[in-house]
Amino acid sequence: MIGRIEELAGQTLGRVREAGTPEELEAVRVEVLGRKGSLAEFGKLMGKLSPEERVAAGKALNSAKTSLEAAYELKKTAFESAALEARLAREWVDLTMPPPGIVPGSLHPLTRIQNEIESLFFSMGFAALDGPEVETEFHNFDALNIPPDHPARDMQDTFWLEGGHLLRTHTSPVQVRGMQRLGPPLRMIAPGRVFRNEEVDPSHEHTFYQLEGMMVDREVSIAHLLYFMKTLLGGIFGREVTVRLRPGFFPFVEPGFELDIQCMVCGGEGCPVCKHSGWVELLPCGLVHPNVLRAGGINPDEYGGFAFGLGLTRLVMMRYLIDDIRWLQSGDLRFLKQF
Amino acid sequence: MKFSYQWLSELVEDLDIDAQELARRITLHTAESEGVEVHGTLLKGACPATVLSVEPIANSHNGKAEVETEAYGRKTLVCGAPNCREGLRTVYVPLGVKRVSGIDSDGMLASAAELGISGDDEGVLELEGELNLEADTIIEIDNKSLTHRPDLWGHYGMAREVAAVLGKPLVDPVSLEMLPQGPGAVGVEIREYGLCPRYTAQLFEGVKVGPSPLWLQYRLESIGLRTINNIVDVTNWILAELPQPTHAFDADKIRGRILVRRAEEGEKLLALNGEEYVLTAEDLVIADEGGAIAIAGVIGGKDSAIGPETTRVVFESANFHASAVRKTSARLKLRTDASMRFEKAQDPHNTLRAIARAAELFELVSPGVVAVGGPTDVHGELAAAPVIPLDLGWLKRKLGREIEKQEVIGILERLAFGVADEGEALAVTVPSWRATKDISIPDDLVEEVGRMVGYETIPPVAPAMPVTPPPVNLERRFYNELRGVASQQGFTEVYNYSFVSEAQAARLGVPVEGHVRVLNPIASDQGLLRTTLLHGVLKNFEENRKHFDEFRFFEIGKEIHKQPEGLPRELGHLVAGLYAHGGDGVAGLRELQRLARAMAPGMRFEPTAEVRAYEHPLRSVNVYLGEALVGRIFEFHPRWMEEGRAAVLDLNLGPLACAMAGIAKQYQPVRRYPASEFDLSVLAGERTFAGTVEKALGSARGEAVERIEFLTEYELPDGRRSLSFRVTVARQDRTLTQEEISAQREAMIGAIREAGFELR
Repeated sequence: MIGRIEELAGQTLGRVREAGTPEELEAVRVEVLGRKGSLAEFGKLMGKLSPEERVAAGKALNSAKTSLEAAYELKKTAFESAALEARLAREWVDLTMPPPGIVPGSLHPLTRIQNEIESLFFSMGFAALDGPEVETEFHNFDALNIPPDHPARDMQDTFWLEGGHLLRTHTSPVQVRGMQRLGPPLRMIAPGRVFRNEEVDPSHEHTFYQLEGMMVDREVSIAHLLYFMKTLLGGIFGREVTVRLRPGFFPFVEPGFELDIQCMVCGGEGCPVCKHSGWVELLPCGLVHPNVLRAGGINPDEYGGFAFGLGLTRLVMMRYLIDDIRWLQSGDLRFLKQF
Repeated sequence: MKFSYQWLSELVEDLDIDAQELARRITLHTAESEGVEVHGTLLKGACPATVLSVEPIANSHNGKAEVETEAYGRKTLVCGAPNCREGLRTVYVPLGVKRVSGIDSDGMLASAAELGISGDDEGVLELEGELNLEADTIIEIDNKSLTHRPDLWGHYGMAREVAAVLGKPLVDPVSLEMLPQGPGAVGVEIREYGLCPRYTAQLFEGVKVGPSPLWLQYRLESIGLRTINNIVDVTNWILAELPQPTHAFDADKIRGRILVRRAEEGEKLLALNGEEYVLTAEDLVIADEGGAIAIAGVIGGKDSAIGPETTRVVFESANFHASAVRKTSARLKLRTDASMRFEKAQDPHNTLRAIARAAELFELVSPGVVAVGGPTDVHGELAAAPVIPLDLGWLKRKLGREIEKQEVIGILERLAFGVADEGEALAVTVPSWRATKDISIPDDLVEEVGRMVGYETIPPVAPAMPVTPPPVNLERRFYNELRGVASQQGFTEVYNYSFVSEAQAARLGVPVEGHVRVLNPIASDQGLLRTTLLHGVLKNFEENRKHFDEFRFFEIGKEIHKQPEGLPRELGHLVAGLYAHGGDGVAGLRELQRLARAMAPGMRFEPTAEVRAYEHPLRSVNVYLGEALVGRIFEFHPRWMEEGRAAVLDLNLGPLACAMAGIAKQYQPVRRYPASEFDLSVLAGERTFAGTVEKALGSARGEAVERIEFLTEYELPDGRRSLSFRVTVARQDRTLTQEEISAQREAMIGAIREAGFELR
C-alpha cells in the first residue's frame, strides 16, 4: 500500500506541476486531495491493515498529502499572481488626460482681495460692517463734517437721486452708522461699492470699491494709527513696508493724512511707477474729527479714534498689474477666468 | 494752483533749496505737490537783438533776416513772422544752425508766446527796454489739498509756510505806508453784512490803460493767468499773491454810489466773459444806481469794465460770504479765480492790505496815477481773533510722542499764531487768515504742530487694548459661502454696474416707476438704478457668447427698490447664468437646480402660473426652501436670446438666509432597527409634474416614513409617463411589522388614486 501511495503521490506531483490552467489544477485537487479523492480512498483502506502496517501507511499518506498540498498551493499562487499581473497589464489609464465634469469657476479679484483684507482685520479685532449704497446727504456729508456748500463737496463728484438721496461717494458714511450701532470702544471696517460721477476711462471709474476702517477708544494717537497701518500693509503685501504720513485734507479727520508707502518696484530709489519720488500714495487717514464722533453719538472729550480709507479697486490693480480699470466691471469671462 | 519759484523766492529770504526739493518739503509739511515744470525754457540764453535787414526768400513765405544780437554778435536766420522788419528790436534765441527754406538759419527770433511771456503768437516780440526775464520753475499744488486753506491760494501764504518749514524770514510784499490817506471818495453801502462782511474801495485817477510791463505779463502767464491790460493785470497779481480777489471798475461808467445787495429775481448782467447771466434773490450783486455791475465775488460786468479810454478806476477789495459765493458760482456754472478763493472763506482783514498793494503796483504799471483820498472801508463787526487752549499733555497723547514746550511755541509762532505760556497749557491766538474756517479747535493745532515737526518723527506704537473677538457679520459670511459654492460648481463671479436705462427696464418689462432715478446721470442710458440683476445677466450672456460656446457666471449684488418714503430698499440677490450654444437646454436648467441644492440641499422646485414675458413659457420654476419662496430658475425666451440656451437662477438672499437659519442643525440618532423600502410606479399624464405626484404621496405620509425619493421616469408609447418613487419606512424603537409596512403602502396607493393617478 505504501508503494501505491508513493506512486500516486509521484504521479500527482507531476500533474500539479504540469497543470496548464487553474481549472486543470482544481480538477487534480478534487481527484486526489478532495473529500472523495484518491488519498481519501486510501484512508478508508487503513482500517484493514495491521497496527504496524497502519502506522507506516499513515505516515506515508500524511507525507504524500502534505507535499501534494504544498505543491498545490504553490501552483495556485503562481496562477493567481499571473492573473493579477495580466489584469494590471491590461489596466492602462491615461491619467494625463484632464478629468471630465465641472471645471471650477473663479471669484472676482475684488472679492478675493476683500476677503483677504477682511480676515486680516478680523484677526486684529475689527468687525466688518455694511452700509447702504444709496445714502442720505446727512450720512454721506453732514455727519462727516462736510456741511452743505462746503467746497469739500467738490472733492467728490456726486450722483444725486430723487428724494434728496445720493449714491454714497465713499464708504465713510458707515463710520457714523457703525458708531451708532456698536458704541465705543470699537474697531470696524466697511468694505463696499461706492460711486463718483466721473467719466470712465482706463484709470477712472464711476463705480469702484473702498474699504473704510475705524478704531475708537479712550486714547488713540497718530502713533497707534501708524502701527495699525504698518501692520495691515505688511499683511497685505506679505512683507515689511515703509510708510510715511504727510498732511492731507479730509473734513472728517483732524489731523488728516495721506499715507504713502515706499515704492516696492524700486525700493525708494525712484522709478516710473512712483513717478521718481520713491513713494506711492496709498490711502487717506487721520484722527477722527470731534464733530464726526458727536454725529456717531460718542463724546469726543472721552474718546478719540482714527479712520482710514483703502481703495480696494486700486489695490487689485496694483496686485494683478491690471492696466485698465474697466475690465473689473466688464463681465468679460476672458478676463475673469484668470483669477 | 500753480506757484512760481521766482515769486516764492522774492517772499522768502535766502531760499536756498531748488524747486524740486521745495516741492518735496511742501508735500511733506503743507500740501501735495503734483510736480514741477520749467516755464520759459527758451529764455535760457535768449538776448535782445535788432533786425538789420530782411530779404524775401523765393517760393517761401519766410524771410531771410540779418540780426545784431546783444550776446552773440551778428546772425543770419530765417523768420516767418509778419512783423519781422528792419529796425525791429526783438529777442534772439540761440538754437544752433538749422536748414530752413534752403538757408542755414542760426537761431530764431521768438514770439511772446514762445518765450512764455503771454499768449501772443502773432509775430515776434516787439521789445522795449531790456529783457530782464529768466526761466522760472512752476510748482503745481493739488487744489484738493488746499480746500481748507484760504491763505494758500496766494504766493504770500505759501511763502509763509515755506519760511516756517525752512526757518527763514518771511518778506511781506505789502507796505501799509502805501495805503492812500484821506476821506473816502467812493460811496458804498452794504445791505447785508452777513453776505458781505466788508467792502473797501479806492478811487484812482490819471490812469493810463495799456499793456503791462513784460515782468508782470510773464509772471501771470507762468501761473496760468492771462494778461489783459496793466490795470486788470494788477488785480490778478494781487489775487495770486495775497490772495485777495479784487476788481477794477471804470469809475466813469458807475452811476452814483456802490450798493452791495441781493439781486432782484430775474435781474440780468452782461458779464466780462460776454455771457448774460440771469440772477435770483439768492445771488449777491455789486450795483450802482442803474443796476448790477458785478456778481459779487464771481465776475464783473462788461459795461463797467476797464477799457483803453479808462482814466479813473474804482478799485474794489471786498470780502464775501463763502457759501453764498459758492452757491451762486455753482448755479451759474461759473467758477472764476475769484470765486474759487472766496468759497474757501477769505480773511476780511485783508482788504486794506490789497488797496495798499494796488497803490504801489499801479504806480509801477501806470506812472502818474493818483489815489483820490483814502479808501472807503465799510464793514460790520469783524470777529475777534479766537484763542484756543492747547493742553500739552493732551497734545502728546494725540501725537503719540512728546514735543518740548519751547519747540511747540516756536512752531506756532513761525506760523504766525500768538502763544501765551500758561504752564501745562498754551493759549493760542489764531491769525485772522486761518480763523475764517480752518482753525477753531485744539485738534486743528495738533495738525499744525504735527506737520511742522514732521510725522516721520512719530514712531509706530501698538495700543494697549483688550483682546476681544469682533462680532461676526453673518450676512457677509453667508454671501461668501455662496460664492464658494457657486465657483466650485463651475460658475465665475462677475460684477455688474448698478445703472440701467429706461430701454433696459422696458426690455424686461420692469415698471419704470419702481426705479430710483439718478438726477445727474453720467449718460442718458444710465439714469435708473437696477431693480433686478437680470439686466446685467442679459448683457453678460450677450457679450460672452461672442467668445465662448458654453459658459457659467454668477453675481451677488443689490437690487435697489424705490420706497414711498425714506431710503430705498436694497435687496441682496444672487444670479447665476449658464449658456450653451447647442443642445436642448435641459442640462443647463438641471445644472442650475443642482447649484441651488449645493447651496441648500433642501431647495424645492415648484411650478408657477406666473408668466414673465422674457421667460420660456414652459421652462420656469419657483425655488423654495422650507415654506419660503427664495428664487426662480428659468430659461430666457428665444426672443430675448435668439441663439443658444440661456438659463438663469435668481435667488433672493434675504429670505434664503432666514430660511437657512431656520433649519435645525441638530443631530438625529442613527437608527438601530432596519428600515424597509417599497417602490411605487405611478402613471401620470404627459405634462404632469413629478412634484405633483410626490405631493400626493406625501399627503399619505405616516409617522414611519423616513423619505420619499424620486427614482426614474419612463415614457410610455401613449405619451404618458411612468414615475417611480422609493419610500423608506422605519422606526427608531423597533422593527416595523409586515402589516405596518403594507398599511403605509396601501395608504399611499389610495392617495395616488384619489389624486387621479394610477399605479403601473
